[in-house]
Amino acid sequence: MSIDKLIRIDETKLKVPVEYKKGMLVPGIIYLDKKLEADLEPQAVDQVANVACLPGIVKASIAMPDIHTGYGFTIGGVAAFDLDHGIVSPGGVGYDINCGVRLIRSNLSKQDMLPRLKELVTALYRDVPAGVGSKGRIRLGPDDEKRVLLRGARWAVENGLGVASDLEKTESGGCLEGADPSIISKKAYDRGRSQQGTLGSGNHFLEVQFVDEILDTKAADVLGLFEGQITVMIHTGSRGFGHQVCTDFLEVMERAAGKYGIHLYDRELACAPYKSPEAGDYLSAMKAAANYAWANRQCIMSWTEEVFARVFRASPSGLGMSLVYDVAHNIAKVEDHIVDGRKKRLIVHRKGATRAFPPGHPELPAAYGKLGQPVLIPGDMGRASYVLVGTEKAMDETFGSACHGAGRIMSRHQAIRKAKGRAIWREMEDKGIIVMASGRETLAEEMSEAYKDVSNVVDVVHRAGIAVKVARLRPLGVVKG
Amino acid sequence: METVAQVHQFEIIDISGDVGVRAYGSDLESLFIHAASGMYSLITDPELIREEGSIELEVRGSTLEGLMVSWLNELVFQFDANNFIGKRVIIHELSTSDEDPDAAGGFRIRGTLYGEDFDISRHERRLLIKAATYHKLEIVRENASFRADIIFDI
Repeated sequence: MSIDKLIRIDETKLKVPVEYKKGMLVPGIIYLDKKLEADLEPQAVDQVANVACLPGIVKASIAMPDIHTGYGFTIGGVAAFDLDHGIVSPGGVGYDINCGVRLIRSNLSKQDMLPRLKELVTALYRDVPAGVGSKGRIRLGPDDEKRVLLRGARWAVENGLGVASDLEKTESGGCLEGADPSIISKKAYDRGRSQQGTLGSGNHFLEVQFVDEILDTKAADVLGLFEGQITVMIHTGSRGFGHQVCTDFLEVMERAAGKYGIHLYDRELACAPYKSPEAGDYLSAMKAAANYAWANRQCIMSWTEEVFARVFRASPSGLGMSLVYDVAHNIAKVEDHIVDGRKKRLIVHRKGATRAFPPGHPELPAAYGKLGQPVLIPGDMGRASYVLVGTEKAMDETFGSACHGAGRIMSRHQAIRKAKGRAIWREMEDKGIIVMASGRETLAEEMSEAYKDVSNVVDVVHRAGIAVKVARLRPLGVVKG
Repeated sequence: METVAQVHQFEIIDISGDVGVRAYGSDLESLFIHAASGMYSLITDPELIREEGSIELEVRGSTLEGLMVSWLNELVFQFDANNFIGKRVIIHELSTSDEDPDAAGGFRIRGTLYGEDFDISRHERRLLIKAATYHKLEIVRENASFRADIIFDI
């Protein structure tokens, strides 16, 4: 069945009917309006359908408006599986386990920042390791690395990088219980040894921003956001460590799928039943990688605050710097959801999708209990990023999930070709944005034109009611790998 | 028998949004060598790499495709964990279980990688390759030669 057989449910949702592909156990639901539908890749629709064929999938194979073709599962995908009959798949989490976003507030205004911007971005670029072949500031001994895997962001705070209140504002307190360091391969340990506290490359970044517009005053007050305010956004994950865990387990899961008789439409969909030892091992390793990522973002935040303190000659607390929130967008978690009117425990895979829990959810920090969970959506480096909050409707429709970014429309290769002969950093400077990157090709593949306009993506999420807009942020200074 | 790398036996391709390499080889050994050269050309300018050290490699896979992914991921690992960037690779042996009782359940490569420690003051920084994937992976025999498409996660 072809892509024109999709059924429009309403102005923000498309249905992939179970007739689309033989073997689909549930339909696919893609959050997309007519405008963004023009960019929908047929291959991404096939991937939504493939996921709908996996054993134990509940309700629907869901994709967000930032959908684009991934490996096995689409980027922007949400899939929840029954614990008794369902599966766990590393491909449903992604290679960069607990890739995520953290937003830091300050009391500085755009006017305070502009005269110091260049000095600040230069110092951030120097102090936060990024890019191909960069050397980390931390070298973990074997015992330290195990502590990172067990303690996550707590490890960083215990070592003087951050304060306890940072942990309260981090999803899962910055640490998933149940990580098992004994399951991790030597290769993963070796890759993780000197990459803690590094930004990486590709779409990862550290961005100095200002609040361009408040879209919900009450919610912004609770989050401590105001118009013209300086914020910092950090987007990175578990680096080579998480990639090695994913690589190791794709092999394990491929063998497991054969052993348990699970038919795979794509090798990157390799999976095992939730209750199998293989799935248990993967989840324990995934938790270790998730903790590595939370420690990573915590270290980078702490060094960012140090740079601000040096440049503005004041302490981070004197500058009003504190964590707004930190959220994962590549992760699998056991959560309770209502399915057909009954509470059910499920394993929810989010790959390029952000958790978006509603007001009153027990997993929210006390300060945001009445507000709902902050949903942080980075856009491309030239346009905007958004802060939203989760809703009850997200719990009803998407297992408490929303989009995670803008989503690519141009392949990396296409973007690099299109940028030939252009100075992307100068084009950005003309727009008032200072960009520092270690590699010219990173800048090329990350240029604005390579992405959908994040405003259109966030609009769909907002209109669908699975998260509501609070503030729009615009970039001033960007550090990339 | 030893097969030595030749340069320019690959091209950079673009399949469904990601960067990849299409490698060619008159036999499997040269196919694997050219895939490695292609991957290194995405990370840096290979012309600037010197042969100052070497690493012995041994990689296994349960299928030919699995062997290709494991092979390239081994090179990714040597770069990411040990900061070692390859200039040239020699394959001493590429065998299947049919020929080699030691290669339990599949294919095996033994080789030597020549190169040096990556140095950001001397080497060009292109793309950070994090993994070779099975996404759209294809190894085909065309007439008397082989072709492989490999997509990388970056």
